[in-house]
Amino acid sequence: MDAFYASVELRERPELAGRPVCVGGAAAGRGVIAAASYAARAFGVRSAMPTARAQALCPDLVLLPPNFDLYTAVSREIMAIFRRYTPLVEPLSLDEAFLDVRGTERLFGDAVAVGRAIKSDVLRETGLVASVGVAPSKFLAKLASDLDKPDGFRVVFAEEVRALLDPLPVSKIFGVGERTAKRLESLGVHTIGQLASLSRADVQRRFGASGLWIHDLAHGIDERRVSTNRVEKSHGKERTFEQDVVDREDLRRRLYGFAEEVAFELRDRGLRGRTVTLKARYPDFHTITRSRTLDHATNLGPRIFAVARELFERIPFGPLRLLGISVSHLEDVRGPAQGQLFEGAAAPAPVADGRLERAQAGLDRLRKKYGGPQVQMGTSLSTPERR
Amino acid sequence: MKVLCNHERLREGLALVNSVIPTKSPRPAVENVLLVATDDALELVGTDLEVSLRLRIEDVKVLEPGTALAPGRVTSDFVRDLVGETVELERDGDQLVITSGADRCELPTVDPDEYPVVAHFDAAGSLSLQAGTFTKLVGRTAFAAAREQGRYAMHGILTLVEDGVLRMVGTDGRRLAVASNPIDADSGPPRRAIVPTKGMQTIVRVLSDPLEQVQIQFGSNQLGVKTRRAEVFARLIEGDFPRYAAVIPSETNHSVEADAELLARKLRLVSNVTTSDARAVRVGLRADRITLHGRSTSTGQATSELEAVAKGTEAEITFNPDFIMEGLKNCESDRVRLEFNERTSPGKFTLGENYVYIVMPITVDL
Repeated sequence: MDAFYASVELRERPELAGRPVCVGGAAAGRGVIAAASYAARAFGVRSAMPTARAQALCPDLVLLPPNFDLYTAVSREIMAIFRRYTPLVEPLSLDEAFLDVRGTERLFGDAVAVGRAIKSDVLRETGLVASVGVAPSKFLAKLASDLDKPDGFRVVFAEEVRALLDPLPVSKIFGVGERTAKRLESLGVHTIGQLASLSRADVQRRFGASGLWIHDLAHGIDERRVSTNRVEKSHGKERTFEQDVVDREDLRRRLYGFAEEVAFELRDRGLRGRTVTLKARYPDFHTITRSRTLDHATNLGPRIFAVARELFERIPFGPLRLLGISVSHLEDVRGPAQGQLFEGAAAPAPVADGRLERAQAGLDRLRKKYGGPQVQMGTSLSTPERR
Repeated sequence: MKVLCNHERLREGLALVNSVIPTKSPRPAVENVLLVATDDALELVGTDLEVSLRLRIEDVKVLEPGTALAPGRVTSDFVRDLVGETVELERDGDQLVITSGADRCELPTVDPDEYPVVAHFDAAGSLSLQAGTFTKLVGRTAFAAAREQGRYAMHGILTLVEDGVLRMVGTDGRRLAVASNPIDADSGPPRRAIVPTKGMQTIVRVLSDPLEQVQIQFGSNQLGVKTRRAEVFARLIEGDFPRYAAVIPSETNHSVEADAELLARKLRLVSNVTTSDARAVRVGLRADRITLHGRSTSTGQATSELEAVAKGTEAEITFNPDFIMEGLKNCESDRVRLEFNERTSPGKFTLGENYVYIVMPITVDL
């Protein structure tokens, strides 16, 4: 979908048509832009940009607070339209999905016809504009959908893949971020064509396993299937502070709050995870992440906090603009469970940590009944110094 | 200080001491190696404040006794890459000068007074045993020790001496290895220590001659080991070790015996289809064989069997295959025995005389 949140808002408020509209947090609270309408983008406003910066670029910017319930509802309508054409729908986010339409030709015609039909259904039924990419693989389809935005419709046939990819910058490859792009640039590689012409062994030597992946993509090779049971890979909570926070004790306390929230969500979804990642952003926007993988998966706040805190104590001192925790390597709590020899032997063991688990279950019930902040562990109120 | 050393001896010694010296420490003095030249020997001392090593090199000619505290890594690396047969170490003011033929380097030194005091081995009440006995037991138990710190002090090896037996226990709460060996008559009181895995590794490195008689001292906060040429001190872990004896089943309903190597091979085979997130292989006991079954939702499933001699009725139990394979690597007899009561209670693997390995099974809820 094109500028999804902003487009939904514009649909709800036709009086704003044509004006630069953004959805995001207030500049006073150091919010960031979540979505910008095309009129706003003309001013250089982009998503993930601090709102203050966006307002400087575009003084007449109409800033709307996000209304996720509405976006979720619209997203459901759109996904339902996709599913009329194929059961193989893999949502990427609220407003993006991969569809595998192989085998539906006799019902709906070829992939191009399906693409056109979906685009017009979405416009007719939701009043929103979608961009469609039709291609032999996921990577190319996503790329194609971005090429003619907004209101795009692009088909990439197998024989034109090379011609399409070659002139594009390497950053268009899924998996090539700022850092990899810089490293490639230092090797004189700017375009996908140049990357594709490097030898596979050379790319692997320099970039490891991810080198093979980006090299494959540079050749248009992407074997990933469209998978409907996309499982959640991580759960996290992060926050940009209204003002940079210097006080370590304060930061630790916030970290504890994040750990509790993430743990609660994991429990609520019947998941637990093994890898804890800490993310911190300094006032100069320098951002670092540090992770640790545990022996046992956990969904207990104090356990997640203990690991996050260890990571936190090792990052450079200084005021922080953003702090967050995420937990990945998720597994179903009903999955196979490794037994424990000793009651409570390992703090992270989900089955053996009897007392904490029971306390947690009680807290969860209170939390669901009365809402989050009212019910907390004593630790988050005072100092979390003692373990 | 001025000393002439055999290059090979010095290189080896520095490499060993350097395995203890940290590259970065809040107390920078310990990033150095302490060189002490006495009348007839050169001592190399390294510590990270948890583990300390004092190594004595005797093939030296001391021209001038004295001490020097020099950067650990650089000293070791420079000496390693020298080619001559003799090396001269000389402290010249606040520099350490290393010379060998036409090769030479000068390194800054630190005042030796800043170096922490490293104990000397106190032989009173110490225990004498063969180095090989000690290293064997470490090898049989260390792999099972916890890597993370948990509620119990399991990130070290419980080391016990009682009734003429040396026993070591390693556990991470999911599996437990217990190995013991009789030692020469020792009439002293029972001794007990939890030695961190890193300390044990250093001790094992120093105990290179399995036939050497070495001295062990159980101190109140450290374990000391003395060989002909070295003294190692490992600071002990404080805290409670879990009551390990209680989880070793004494009577079991099910028992099966099979070829250890074959079992390891078949386990590896079947576990190929399991994923790293869900390592589980179901072990089935039949009258004359063991069946193995591994599966994962994403990669498929595999089955295999091997000949075995079972007692009791047919039964099944599921384990993390990695745990079993790690244990089987240390199996000293050709046959391995597995015993258990139910699919949710610990499996007991007998891997040799005085060597058992307990593994908790994996259970699937619902």
